[in-house]
Amino acid sequence: MSFASDRRAFLRHLGIGAAAAPFVLNLPSLGLAAEGTRKRRMVVVFSPNGIVPKNFWPDAQGEDFRLKEILAPLEPFKKDTLILRGISDKIRGDGDSHMRGIGCLLTGVELFPGNIQGGSHTPAGWSTGISIDQELKNRLQKDAASRTRFGSLEFGAMVPDRADTWTRMVYAGANKPIAPVDDPYQMFQKLYGQMKDRETLNSVLDDVRDDLAKVSSLASSDDRRLLEEHAELVRGMEQELQNAGRTELDHPVPQLEPGVKEENNNLPRICKMQIDLMVNSFLADFTRIATLQITNSVGQARMTWLGIEEGHHGLSHKPDSDDESQNKLTKINRWYCEQVAYLAQRLAATPEPGGDGSMLDHTTIMWTNELGQGNSHTLDNIPFVLVGQGLGFRMGRSLKFNNVPHNRLLLSLAAGMGHPLDSFGNADYCGDGPLGELV
Amino acid sequence: MKPSFLALLIALAGVAFNSVHAAPDGAKIFTAQCAECHGPRGEGVPDATPNPLHGNRPLSGLTKYIVEKMPEDSPQDCAGEEAQAVAQYIYEAFYSPAAQVRNKKPRVDLARLTVNEYRHAVADLVGTFRPPLKPDDQRGLRAEYFNNPKLGDRKVERVDQQVDFDFGENEAAPGVGQEDFSTRWDGSLIAPASGEYEIVLQTSIGARLWLNNNELPLIDAWVRSGDSSQYRKTVFLLGGRAYPLRLEAFKSKREKTAAISLHWKRPHYIEEAIPAEFLAPRRGSEIFVVSTPFPPDDRSMGYERGDSVSAAWDEAATFAALETAGYIAAHLDQLTGSRSDSEDRRAKLHDFAVRFVQRAFRRPLSEDQRKFFIDRQFDASDDPAVAMKRIVLLTLKSPRFLYHEAHGGKFDAFDRASRISFALCDTLPDAPLLAAVANGQLETRQQVLAQVRRLLDDPRTHRKIDEFFHYWLDLERVNNVSKANDLYPEFNEQMVSDLRKSLDLFVHDIVWGEQSDFRQLLSAEFLYVNGRLAKFYGIELPEDAPFQKVPVDGQQRAGVLSHPLLMTSLAYHAASSPIHRGVFLARNILGRRLRPPPIAVAPTSPDLKPDLTTRERVVEQTRAQVCMSCHQMINPLGFSLENYDAVGRYRNVENDKPIDASGEYETLDAQRIEFQGAKDLAKFVANSEEAHSAFVERMLQHVVRHPILAYGAEQPERLREHFSSSGYSIRELLVEIVTTTAMSSGKSPTVASAN
Repeated sequence: MSFASDRRAFLRHLGIGAAAAPFVLNLPSLGLAAEGTRKRRMVVVFSPNGIVPKNFWPDAQGEDFRLKEILAPLEPFKKDTLILRGISDKIRGDGDSHMRGIGCLLTGVELFPGNIQGGSHTPAGWSTGISIDQELKNRLQKDAASRTRFGSLEFGAMVPDRADTWTRMVYAGANKPIAPVDDPYQMFQKLYGQMKDRETLNSVLDDVRDDLAKVSSLASSDDRRLLEEHAELVRGMEQELQNAGRTELDHPVPQLEPGVKEENNNLPRICKMQIDLMVNSFLADFTRIATLQITNSVGQARMTWLGIEEGHHGLSHKPDSDDESQNKLTKINRWYCEQVAYLAQRLAATPEPGGDGSMLDHTTIMWTNELGQGNSHTLDNIPFVLVGQGLGFRMGRSLKFNNVPHNRLLLSLAAGMGHPLDSFGNADYCGDGPLGELV
Repeated sequence: MKPSFLALLIALAGVAFNSVHAAPDGAKIFTAQCAECHGPRGEGVPDATPNPLHGNRPLSGLTKYIVEKMPEDSPQDCAGEEAQAVAQYIYEAFYSPAAQVRNKKPRVDLARLTVNEYRHAVADLVGTFRPPLKPDDQRGLRAEYFNNPKLGDRKVERVDQQVDFDFGENEAAPGVGQEDFSTRWDGSLIAPASGEYEIVLQTSIGARLWLNNNELPLIDAWVRSGDSSQYRKTVFLLGGRAYPLRLEAFKSKREKTAAISLHWKRPHYIEEAIPAEFLAPRRGSEIFVVSTPFPPDDRSMGYERGDSVSAAWDEAATFAALETAGYIAAHLDQLTGSRSDSEDRRAKLHDFAVRFVQRAFRRPLSEDQRKFFIDRQFDASDDPAVAMKRIVLLTLKSPRFLYHEAHGGKFDAFDRASRISFALCDTLPDAPLLAAVANGQLETRQQVLAQVRRLLDDPRTHRKIDEFFHYWLDLERVNNVSKANDLYPEFNEQMVSDLRKSLDLFVHDIVWGEQSDFRQLLSAEFLYVNGRLAKFYGIELPEDAPFQKVPVDGQQRAGVLSHPLLMTSLAYHAASSPIHRGVFLARNILGRRLRPPPIAVAPTSPDLKPDLTTRERVVEQTRAQVCMSCHQMINPLGFSLENYDAVGRYRNVENDKPIDASGEYETLDAQRIEFQGAKDLAKFVANSEEAHSAFVERMLQHVVRHPILAYGAEQPERLREHFSSSGYSIRELLVEIVTTTAMSSGKSPTVASAN
């Protein structure tokens, strides 16, 4: 917290400036084409350990396809959905597949050599580059028209409390992993803490003044001057707070279910809380970039609420021939898909503030994974499922590519957000630029 | 016979009153025409004009008012030049705001906590609810060495003095495999002074460091990535306290060699491996340190004081209250010993609140206060945690916390306890002090004395006294000393850091040694040096020698005044500065008041007069009559230190001319003292009543943050005599100052007026 040198800076500290900002920032900028000012958001949802291909990928390509078991929860949003098969993480170098899977997923560049030893391959450290969400955040924050209070928000759910290559997907730069906030109460504090503080402060200021008046009345006349001066300052602050209250945020502060502890069986509640907070932060235009990392690479969620006692990662090593396990893995992945569907549903049900249509019309969710398949640890055919119209892609399709590097998809995301890039991550894999088939 | 210190003050103050005597007519007119209703000094007459003649009209406005309105029964009696003269007299003698301040009898005015006091008080307020760590003499860190990389299979447990290891390809400890292993160092980091500490972890292996937060690492370098091997973080720490520290590291098979060091850059020092003296193997509780920045306190009187409030301060205090409330909310379970779902949650929180508010206010709560600050807040909210937040805010925003002795009652034993504690440690009274009050055992001078002595060895007291010496010696300016590289190529940042340590060790040795003799401070013939300093200052010692006490040639150097750090700081880039040294001696050491220079004069560059010595240059530059009224005192004092060049080295010649270090000083009772060089000067100062009085006053004001006369006109002389009769013991002086100021309310001179 830096020193508030004047009243305005003080109010900014209490988040009032930021709360009022959307009203200022949403003014249409006459100099730009409508497309240039259309608000666009991007969300990345991560779930670990690969998928079950036969129950995931649609058989048909194009607009006429059927959603299989895992993707079935997206049925209501089928026309907003784009399924991309045949995109591969080509990044090699240090680290095992899980590490490179998550560490190169959004960065498209190699890991540093390091001391973290995976199951096989060489040990590795952090990514050598920035992730695409942070790159886009930086670009959005540079421009007053797209600048938001946070720029980006990194949500997590049940991410283990240790910083290593398997638990970090987002990077602010080389060797700069960003930890997802996996405690909804902590995220709430980040989003609304200042507002709550202001409320609490407001609620005690009357008492503070009474107390000052009482002490002042008992003080000698020599000492009273200082206390009266002080009381004047408190009065001034009270007035500022009341004035600020009039330019208050136009959406209610969300109510979180209290006392949800971070433990395995609470994963569904935590995911829901985080998604609700994310939707609220979009509504308030706190950010236009968000990530939700559910567990971590090698994540061991035990989905007891689905009747599955084994940890996810353990199960993901079972062979294709093990029907029971594949069945469980299908259920697990379907559950992750339900989280994506819940987010899509919340966005679809919320009208875009100050704009046309729903928030889903201005948001693209990308659901992805660090592996193509758990038992082979392949980085080919990484699942990428896009939902929503935010990036202007042609949705409602199932596409199949021929093993193209995922860096090109990262370039497509940048272009879709209005910030086309020539290359991102390892330039060797950016060859033909963004995937033309998406638009 | 020498004049008393008070007489001295009056004599000095007389300078300011000169202009009053310049208008004798005004005074006569006032006596003749105005005093009947306004009192002889404008203090008011009960049945005529009860209010004193105080105001803030400018002189012109006051004159106009008198011309038109005064005397009330016949305004025409006082007009023209007469009115002008009487207005000027009234204005300057008692009417104007400046005159009001000048005429005010010194007293212990209401003061808020200084920023420093605020931070310490909040740290201890939260610390009330955590087990304390009793300081002991053990140093170093508890070390454990494990035979696997996961902090398991412990082979060795010992105390390491520092963390500064290069294990190479060898075993880190006996029986620990060199291929992969892990280690843990555990204990406390002792911060000697308040300020920003840069913590530097250098490691070739994975490592994690926790400092003053047992959950969140300050530095997480468990993942080694690429070439990264150095990690830096800056934290603000309060001085005189020990902070929990834990460092864990592991070597993987991939790494051939292992090396790890824990460094810091503490305020005013350069980076070094954290020395053992600042590490302790026992670990205490986390300490809550308010990080909200505050505007600096007023220091215009030579000491920090909380005599004013500003919007910036009020905002900072509000943020700090919110920050504290947030911290308490986040640690509520641990601090209250309850859980959100436990049945006795509300009761536990209520107990916590009562203890919290009482500690913050430094006294028990009345029934009404308990209702106002606590019960009402709990009644107003279903969620006790919300109530708690409101209570913390309300408490930390209350004048009862923010100000000293702001409770509206008479000065009592609780105030006494607070005075002792704030004077010595800058913080809230501790449990034994409060217990003494509760048992009626803080009433007599003897009882107060016992408590003061008990707290004398508290590390926070040592910190405060260290800080006093830094003020007294103006060492705060020694931050960015840079000296001419061509003249002093070996004199670098490292040297300045070493010199600071050398001076700190010297002062510590004297102050906390057996004698604690002020005269030794000025004339002791030893220095603390390490090999580097020894080489530079011509003392025989191996180059790699650690700091040690060495005797010095008394003709060349004596006591603190000629310490090379002080000489370096009181000097220019490439030359000594007799003026800076003279001003320092006059003001800080002899307690003389000096006016700011009447004209701005840039120092003459040595290049312009290359054939002159520094002394000759200064004489020429300050020759003007307008300069000499002060410089006739400043220059000869400063000249006595001319044997020390810009980096504090002893010299006999400058520009091929012999150094002339003769100096002189005219005492307040007009005795002319002559001296030859630093040793003579030190001898004079050590035995000078002026210097003793100045030291007494400086220390008192630094410690209690009020003017010495607030505790009675007799105090300057009384304390000086006490100082003298105790063999000039600095420690005894501190004890006497704290005891005296805790026993005298300092408020009696002013009677609260009816309005």
